[in-house]
Amino acid sequence: MSERTIELYIGPQHPGSGHMRFDITLDGDIIVKAEPSIGYVHRSVEKIAETKTYIQIAPLVERPSLADTVNPNLGYILALEKLLGIEAPPRAQYLRTLAAEANRIHSHFYGIGILGIMLGSSTAFMWAFADREIMIELLQMLTGARITYSYVIPGGVRRDLPVGFKEAAEKALRYLERRLKDYEKLFFENPVTVARLKGVGVLKKEDAIALGIVGPNLRASGVHYDVRRIEPYAAYDDLDFEVVVKKEGDSYARLMARVEEIKQSMRIIRQVLEKIPDGPILHEKYYKMIPPKTRKQIEETGRLKFPAAFATLKPPKGEALSRVEGARGEFLYYVVSDGSPRPYRFRMVSPSFRNVWLFAHLLPGHRLADIPAIYGSIDYFPPCADR
Amino acid sequence: MELPKRVVHHIEALLTGAKYLVAKPRMTVMYPEEAQILPEGYRGMPKFNREKCRSCSLCARICPANAIKMYTVEVEGEKKKKYPGINYNRCIFCGFCVDICPAGALEFTDIHDYASYSLEDLVFKPDRFAEGPPPRPFKPKLVKPMLDEEVGLKYVPG
Repeated sequence: MSERTIELYIGPQHPGSGHMRFDITLDGDIIVKAEPSIGYVHRSVEKIAETKTYIQIAPLVERPSLADTVNPNLGYILALEKLLGIEAPPRAQYLRTLAAEANRIHSHFYGIGILGIMLGSSTAFMWAFADREIMIELLQMLTGARITYSYVIPGGVRRDLPVGFKEAAEKALRYLERRLKDYEKLFFENPVTVARLKGVGVLKKEDAIALGIVGPNLRASGVHYDVRRIEPYAAYDDLDFEVVVKKEGDSYARLMARVEEIKQSMRIIRQVLEKIPDGPILHEKYYKMIPPKTRKQIEETGRLKFPAAFATLKPPKGEALSRVEGARGEFLYYVVSDGSPRPYRFRMVSPSFRNVWLFAHLLPGHRLADIPAIYGSIDYFPPCADR
Repeated sequence: MELPKRVVHHIEALLTGAKYLVAKPRMTVMYPEEAQILPEGYRGMPKFNREKCRSCSLCARICPANAIKMYTVEVEGEKKKKYPGINYNRCIFCGFCVDICPAGALEFTDIHDYASYSLEDLVFKPDRFAEGPPPRPFKPKLVKPMLDEEVGLKYVPG
């Protein structure tokens, strides 16, 4: 360290979203070196998972990532289904897609809101958090919970579409479509936002690939990569959507990539509601285990009852790997089963953990005041990274 | 040529903000004076029905947070029976207990808000679990959320 520079610690409590610290070396107000210091909210999800039965892990994996809960849940269940050697019926696959996309929208709004407040635009923050509520309300109709849905279960989903869902969803989508135009005027094209974000924190395509960046941050740097396209899961194979790619790689491109993804997600939701096939929402193997009387009740209410076997799922010996495209990027699960009711090894790689290195890469060379702009644009979420 | 475009965008941003300054209604529920009517199947605090219970302990076994515990209860004229109790310090409202109950002895209520002065008070043994979640100390004005094309979410008094 030379005499010119000073060290500055930002966090673990800071005006943005908290629980992480940056160790920053400054020369004047130019950042020379930035080191993200993570682990403040580490809860050891992987080790806890090894003490729980397979079904009990489903609610656990969605806890780390506040806004984006269906996707981590889905990713884990896909790995579990590979171990069990089953696949969900088509209707359940569509419902999974529906929940995942509605969740993607509310997670992106969350990210946009946080970026807004970091830039000092309280209006953008309030708007985004209010409009996020629309999707939360929809998902509450579908799943019965606000944020932590635990909606995806081995072999299917927990609930069928409720009465009036399609109409409510259409209204919500029309509202959001109109509203996004207002966002454009108020926030996205606002000269203040543009000045703070354009050309700030440019991530080159080669660097994005070399650093292993995932999600909208990767795609905003011009890399055409989306797990939904590359390894289609759920119903994504049957659906028509575009992978949003931006060339610029700056903070503004990362913001706009999320906005475009919201539009694509709305497109997917419309298609799902139009094309959704009839049929069961749980795999035959488990549906047969439910007593006939209960089965009748399920058909009437559309709300599934679990077979007793769920309490002691015992997948055969083996290992499974699954990937899903979460709102913030790719979730990866690796589950090893030794034939007992608990996994022998459980590995969860979250997108924020893979994106955290962006701070060390992007911040040097920028002014101290650019930290919020870059932080917000990455949509980094400490609990998701720390697990 | 750069300048006029920026000026236009500034003005547009201000006008958009101003438009919403007067637009009504806004998405606010004045909780706790007002409370939402929750949809059917909402995963609130579960309620226990002692008559239906078969003492199979599936709820306790599936509970991911170890919130449900089986208590041995003496029943008049019968042998001792095991009934579930719930600890709301631990409950994560996943609803697995209700969904796995083969007898339908557990069901969701729409109450999710309950505050207490002590941690012990949040442990509901079978007796209290069967009474259901305690009622709210005062009656809030109930509003029903309706998704709306114009304003997003409307809260209609219900």
